[in-house]
Formats: sequence, C-alpha cells, structure tokens
Amino acid sequence: MMVFATLPPKDQFFNTIFYLLERYSGFFIRGVLITLLLSVVGTLGGFILSLFLTLLRTSEVDKRRDSWMTASLKKLGRGFATAYITVFRGTPMIVQAMIFYYGISPLRLLWWTPLVAGLFVVTLNTTAYIAEVIRSGINGVDKGQMEAARSLGFSRRQGMFLIVLPQAIKNSLPAIGNEFIVNLKDTAVLSVIGVFDLFRATQSSTSSNFRVVEGFFIAAVIYLILTYITSKVVNKLDHVMESGKENAHA
Amino acid sequence: MPKPILEIQNIHKRFGQQYVLNGIHLDVYEKEVVTIIGSSGSGKTTLLRCLNLLNEPDDGHIYFMGSDLMDPKTDLEALRMHIGMVFQSFNLFNQKTVLDNCTLAPMKLLNLSKEDAVDRAMTFLKKVGMQDFAHQSANRLSGGQKQRVAIARALCMNPTIMLFDEPTSALDPEMVGEVLQVMKNLANEGMTMVIVTHEMAFAKEVSDRVVFMDQGVIAEMGKPEEILVNPKEERTRSFLKRYTTS
Repeated sequence: MMVFATLPPKDQFFNTIFYLLERYSGFFIRGVLITLLLSVVGTLGGFILSLFLTLLRTSEVDKRRDSWMTASLKKLGRGFATAYITVFRGTPMIVQAMIFYYGISPLRLLWWTPLVAGLFVVTLNTTAYIAEVIRSGINGVDKGQMEAARSLGFSRRQGMFLIVLPQAIKNSLPAIGNEFIVNLKDTAVLSVIGVFDLFRATQSSTSSNFRVVEGFFIAAVIYLILTYITSKVVNKLDHVMESGKENAHA
Repeated sequence: MPKPILEIQNIHKRFGQQYVLNGIHLDVYEKEVVTIIGSSGSGKTTLLRCLNLLNEPDDGHIYFMGSDLMDPKTDLEALRMHIGMVFQSFNLFNQKTVLDNCTLAPMKLLNLSKEDAVDRAMTFLKKVGMQDFAHQSANRLSGGQKQRVAIARALCMNPTIMLFDEPTSALDPEMVGEVLQVMKNLANEGMTMVIVTHEMAFAKEVSDRVVFMDQGVIAEMGKPEEILVNPKEERTRSFLKRYTTS
C-alpha cells in the first residue's frame, strides 16, 4: 500500500525523499546492484589482469642469455605495460567510456550493451591502478627472498610467482580494497554511456518530478553506506595484517 | 690430486666505477672446506655470490663440475640446484612454515612427492636440531634458529657444495655457537664448503684452506696455521692484528 501516493509539496524535503524511495524503490535497488556489480567485477577483473601486466613489467632482459627474439619480446611487453598504465591512469574514465562505447558500437555487436561496455571500461581502468599497487608491493618485498629462490634453482619467473608475488599481494590487499571503494564512487561516470547504475537510477527517478536535490540526497546516503561499510572491512583487514607483522618481529 | 669441483679462473667484477674483483683464481676440491677472510670491502662476499652467479662476473670463467657457469648456453638453474647457499640475513621465505621452506624447492624442482619431500626435510631439520619447529611460521624464530633452518633448506636439495655468506654476522653473540656447530658437523661429514666469515677461531678449526682477500685479489692462501698463525704478507698480519685486538 502506498503511503505517499502523490508528490508532496516542494518545501517538504523529507516527505519528498520518502515519496521517491517508495515510488522508485525498484530503480534504486537496481541501481545499487549495478553499481556493486561494476565495482566487484572491475576490482576482481582488474586484479587478475594486473597480474598479466605485472608479468610483462617485471621481465628482465638477460643480456648474455636471452636470444635477440626473447629480448625484443620482453622489451615490447614492458613497453606495452608501461604505455597501458600511463594512458589509463592519465585519462579520465568518463572519456575512456565514451571512446570504447561509441568506438565499438558501430560493429553492431548484439552483446555490446552499455552495461557490458561499462564493465569492460571499469575493468581496464582498475587494471592500471592495481598494477601500480602491486608494483609497489613487489618493491616492498625484501630482495633476499628472490635471491634465496634463485640460489635454490628457481627461475626468475618461478621466484616471482611462488615467493615474491604472494607476499606482495598480501601486503597490497588494503590498497586493493581502496580501489574497490574508489570504484563504488567513480563508476557513477559510466552513466554517461547509459549504464543504469545508482547515479543513472537517481536521474531517472527525478526526471519527471524535478526533485533533483532530494533524489541525489538519497544517492549520497546510499553511496556513503556502501563506502563506509567497505572501508570498515578494509581497515579491519589492515589491522589484522599489521598485528601479523608485529608477530613476525617478536 | 683429483679434479676440482669448482674452478675459478681470472674473475673480474666491477659495480659502476668500483672495481671489486680484480682477477681471482681459486680451485675448490671435493670435501674441502675453504674459508675466505678479509676486511669489509675486500670483495669476499662478491666473490662468493659470483660462484652461483647471483652476481655475474664481468670476465673470467667458473667451472662447476666441468660446466662453465659463464657460458650463456649453460642451464644455470639446473646447476644452482647443486650449489647450496646460506645468506647473512637468512632469507627464509616469509609467511611460510619451517617445513614449507624446506619442501618447496624439492617438490617444485626435483619433482619429489609431498611425502618424500617432508621425509627429506625432517631428516635435515633433525640434523640442525629444528625438527620440533617444523610447523611453526619461519617469521617467529630467533636468528640462530632461522639460520639453522636456512641450512636445512639448502641441504634438502642434496647440494654438491655449500656456500656460506657470513652466516653468523647478523646473529646475537649467544646464537653464533649453535650455527657454527651445525657447520662443523657438516664439514666433518665431508661436505664441500666455501665460507665467508669473520669467525677466526672457527676458520682455524674447520678449514682445510684459508683465503685472505684484499682489494679484490687473493693476497694470501694456504693452510689455516700458515695464514692465521704465521702469515707471510704484511697486510694479512695487520688484518689479523686488528681482529685479535678488537
């Protein structure tokens, strides 16, 4: 049963909010779910893809042992990874979204919907940021770890994936959690290509009644709840790991 | 005399403008214990790290059981499996248990089954007196315990030769003895060892040969009594004097 069947007068701020929540609950729920989907897929996908970038970026040319071919491929890979990170961190995601969505749309692929394009862009974007996070995580791992691995007979790649990277990822988890928080907020820009995220859902809820401030007040509170909960979880994670480190020195 | 396990021929190494090794010749024979002494900056650690190419010499040859480590076609990883190394700062794998530190390389590189790798690890952990700590995190051990585990980890690959890079320099004084004892036992069992150390009493007791390095070259080399008691070279004498007085 509808409590607020009609739109309250303009001076009734909170009544308007309740009206919008009741009337457009479906929009808001769908918007939250899409925002969460974008953030989760973007962060997890970005994490996985960033490992490939890391693989490319940490390959070192061995002047004496690598063939001309191997050395060139390694250099090409490093160049690609560096260029990728520079481009995706150096341009706004809203611009990336426009280029990818409208760039690929003329191919008339049935599955190339705004949501798919949005998932694609947020993943590519997050990849660049998490690659930087993992790089600093790798720099934070004692060089002796790789040397010990090499002295036992592991290749550089085995040492990286068996010994160094697991430690780097563990140390990077709080920063990767931060990327998730950033994504919760920044995926709002994907509404520009028509992704029905929380931002777009709010816009739709207020497009016929022009109660924009009330609508986006709701959006702000929802965003705040999402980021607050996530940051609590990340802090907890951080805390658990810090106490782990203290034990390590005891 | 039989053929040496390790032949070091005319090794040169520089870091930037700094010449660290200026033509080193050294042969190491089976079951021999060679200790390298010298003041800091003499190049002894760099020399040791060149022996498994953790530092790559700029020039020269290192033959390990007949293969030239410096030849680009040599399978370096396969040869390193036979050259155990123990570091000053232990370098145990963080976030792993003592047992996992010891079983990782045998399982991944020698394709041992888990049971076999654990059996082997427990044998060597027992040897260094660390079997009771097998399931503890490596991060929680004392320095002396860490170094003993590091020795066991290297032994799990059944190396032909063991390299020790100042294995007791990062330890509190009361922990030095336990590590040196493990090394003495190894030497007595006939392990071929090259040891960089500042422990002169230990060097005298355990070595077959002592190498004194100064400014990137071997200044003097011989039996422990010759080098540590009656050195011929003036610079060896002044180095030892600094050690016995300090």
